[in-house]
Amino acid sequence: MNYPVWELSMGAGMLIAVVSILHVFVSHFAVGGGLWLVLTEARANRQNDEEARGFVKKHSRFFMLVTLVFGAISGVGIWATIGLISPHGTSALIHGFVWGWAIEWIFFFVEIAAALVYYYGWEKLDRRTHEIVGWVYFISAWMSLFIINGIVTFMLTSGGWLENHEFWTGFFNPTFWPSVFIRSFAGFGIAGMFTLMTAANLPLGDFRTRITRWNGGWATVGIAGVMASAVWYGRSVGVWTENEALLGAIPVLPKVVALFKIGLVATISLCVIPLLLPKVWNKGLVPMLLTVGLLTMGAGEWAREAGRKPFVIQGYMYSTGMLVADEEALAADGMIAHTKWMSPESLTDEARRGQDLYAAWCQPCHTTNGYNGLAPFLAHWNEETIASLVPHLQHMRALMPPWYGTEEENAALVTHLMSMKPAEPGVMPADRQAARIKSFAISCGLCHTPNAYRSLTDFFTDMNAEEIDEFLDDAGDMADEMPGYFGTEEQRELLIEYLDAFDEVATRPGGSES
Amino acid sequence: MITSILSTIVPAPDALPLPAPAPVLFFLQQLTFLLHLLAMNALLGGLIITLVARIRSKGPDDHWAQLADSIAKTSPSLVAATVNMGVAPLLFLQTLMGQFFFTSSILMGWGWFSVVVVMIFAYYGTYLQSFKGASLGKSQKPILAVTVLLFLWVGFMFTNNNTLMLQVGQWAGMYFADARGLHLNLGDPQLWPRYLHMVLGAVAVGGLMLAWWGRVRHLRGDERGAFMVKVGVDNFTWLTLVNILVGLWFFMALPSDVRKLFMGGDPGASAMFGIGLVLGIGMFVLGFLARLRGPNVRLVMPTAMTVVQMIVMITMRDVVRNGFLGDLYKPAEFAVKTQMFNVVAFFVLLVGAVFTVIWMVRKLYLSWDNN
Repeated sequence: MNYPVWELSMGAGMLIAVVSILHVFVSHFAVGGGLWLVLTEARANRQNDEEARGFVKKHSRFFMLVTLVFGAISGVGIWATIGLISPHGTSALIHGFVWGWAIEWIFFFVEIAAALVYYYGWEKLDRRTHEIVGWVYFISAWMSLFIINGIVTFMLTSGGWLENHEFWTGFFNPTFWPSVFIRSFAGFGIAGMFTLMTAANLPLGDFRTRITRWNGGWATVGIAGVMASAVWYGRSVGVWTENEALLGAIPVLPKVVALFKIGLVATISLCVIPLLLPKVWNKGLVPMLLTVGLLTMGAGEWAREAGRKPFVIQGYMYSTGMLVADEEALAADGMIAHTKWMSPESLTDEARRGQDLYAAWCQPCHTTNGYNGLAPFLAHWNEETIASLVPHLQHMRALMPPWYGTEEENAALVTHLMSMKPAEPGVMPADRQAARIKSFAISCGLCHTPNAYRSLTDFFTDMNAEEIDEFLDDAGDMADEMPGYFGTEEQRELLIEYLDAFDEVATRPGGSES
Repeated sequence: MITSILSTIVPAPDALPLPAPAPVLFFLQQLTFLLHLLAMNALLGGLIITLVARIRSKGPDDHWAQLADSIAKTSPSLVAATVNMGVAPLLFLQTLMGQFFFTSSILMGWGWFSVVVVMIFAYYGTYLQSFKGASLGKSQKPILAVTVLLFLWVGFMFTNNNTLMLQVGQWAGMYFADARGLHLNLGDPQLWPRYLHMVLGAVAVGGLMLAWWGRVRHLRGDERGAFMVKVGVDNFTWLTLVNILVGLWFFMALPSDVRKLFMGGDPGASAMFGIGLVLGIGMFVLGFLARLRGPNVRLVMPTAMTVVQMIVMITMRDVVRNGFLGDLYKPAEFAVKTQMFNVVAFFVLLVGAVFTVIWMVRKLYLSWDNN
């Protein structure tokens, strides 16, 4: 662990999420909107439709103010944010792809210049030149997307790069092409959505109906394209096609993927309204469409990020910054030997040692009470439970990066985790079944699902309560990677009831959700 | 200055090799930084001059108001240029010195992050000035003042980060006392003179650019030109004089071992320091003489001197960096695996991009002329 870790009570992931989801929505608009501008302008020129030309011109001002300012600065903002939150990953992406970034910068340069000339040239340039400038804008904006897409997809599916570390192998990785299609179509769809907003402000009449239908077509075709490309994409992600991740290795992933699918259906349902019933389209529907579109896009990006766990660059670097190549050395030397930012006090003070280890290795993903907060779990755990879990962190189904603490380091981390425990012990839900599920979630459920990922169905189906009770006494002896069970009497009783009814639970709809 | 304990805290360089020899990346970093500075000076210098003009203006049609109106229209495009030209040097800096830069960024996490949010507001501020202008009424001046302050804030954060990345000895104390990213580099004696040097330099160079603009207008018979030349040359001349003194303050604020590099410790650095001083004085003298010629001012020599001076300053900045970091930074030892195809592709595309942009801007400029 090379770098210090920024302590953010809200959670590092949350900050990145806010910045990037807003940026991604606008930046895709910047690409798709470029094509919309130039095609709509060309159509208006061909048909000598001054009303349409006026509309495109008016929209281009809005387009410039949104994409050049918010889009461009929030894009630099993502870069600044990931550098703060994942300096190891950012550094690796920069080193591996400097020339990719530098070439992207060139296109960014042309894109910005073209956008300004396009906007200021409406009345100054002849129509043909103005259209050419529009094309220069769109092509350079799309090339930006093309290049960044190579680097972003590389993080999830690094593919053959792991063997040869070659730029182009990493760039044209297994999800590169489906993702280019998803993002391009998303751009066209979002362009349609934003122009539907501008169109909703027009006075009622023939022109508004025409342009609303045209924009609705863009939005619908765009989202339909995203849907088709997303199927292709899903099949290109190795770990997803093996389905282990979706089956519960990463608990949040199935939920986010479901959210993405529902979002796409909701978005396209809204997009066909202006296409089929342009007269019905009105200002009131605009915020709904944009919100649903934004959330759907967010879910899609979240799925990609969540699906990468426990890596920041799949197969190369864990989200803590640990390199896969360094694992053997860490396993041999322990964590402190590979943690640069240990305070002088940590040499003598166990609590401080634990705090520094926590900051370096846990805090990149976890908070106390915020995003990925640990307090809700710690509230239910006693010291024995925490001590039994710490050496087994990498076996959890949340796909955590490995932890190679020595006994002394584990003890220090446990001391620190105990200090993070809320003053009030955790309260189990009043509803008996909910309490049983909770008891499972804070113990077995950390690594298993009832009937999917590391399924427990077969194991517990034929056991009665007494046998389960006995089993829990010796759980830690079962396998090296299995922690012991040290729950309270109440938790134990609930867990036994839950496991005893396992055959029913396992076949119940939603049973895999523990 | 650097003890072995510190070297345990400094992050190791990235495990992946550099994709081109360090000098190539360094050259690109310095070149693009120069372009960024030129754009930034035009923007920040122009905005500060605009604010002063608005304050001094007595009515909507006087010289000052006309000057402010003219500059305000250029600001949004200059923000775009400044940001764009800033991306490249930051990229190459992170490639070559990421282990220092990422660390200082994290220590001042919120301050560094604030740059993003503040930039968005400042950028919209320039559009408000440009698009709405006088129709902003009484709020025109306050909005402009806030916009200037926001840009000054951004610059201040950059100076903080670029100096904190050199204060390796302070890092551990800061981080272990508070890891919430609330630090700045306020305890560093070079911070304020360095920042002031940059800001005053921006107004001086911005003034020189204004003088050029005024000169072109004057030649075309535009009566607003003469006043622009006067204000531009005045700013250039007097702020250059002040900046020589601030530069000396900055110099004295450097640690003595770094300062000694410029006083014989390193012959190249010492020569540059001497050249810098001579150029500074030369710029002032030429500016002073230019003032006497009114709108028929000669700007080629002072401009050439200014650009050379900026190159000298950028190079000296790097000597300061190396002086601070000493043995902790050895780019010559970085592993290199050159991606030749990509290097060639970069330069070919860059040339293509420059021609494309020139073509577009020329078309617009010519049509502007015709209209």
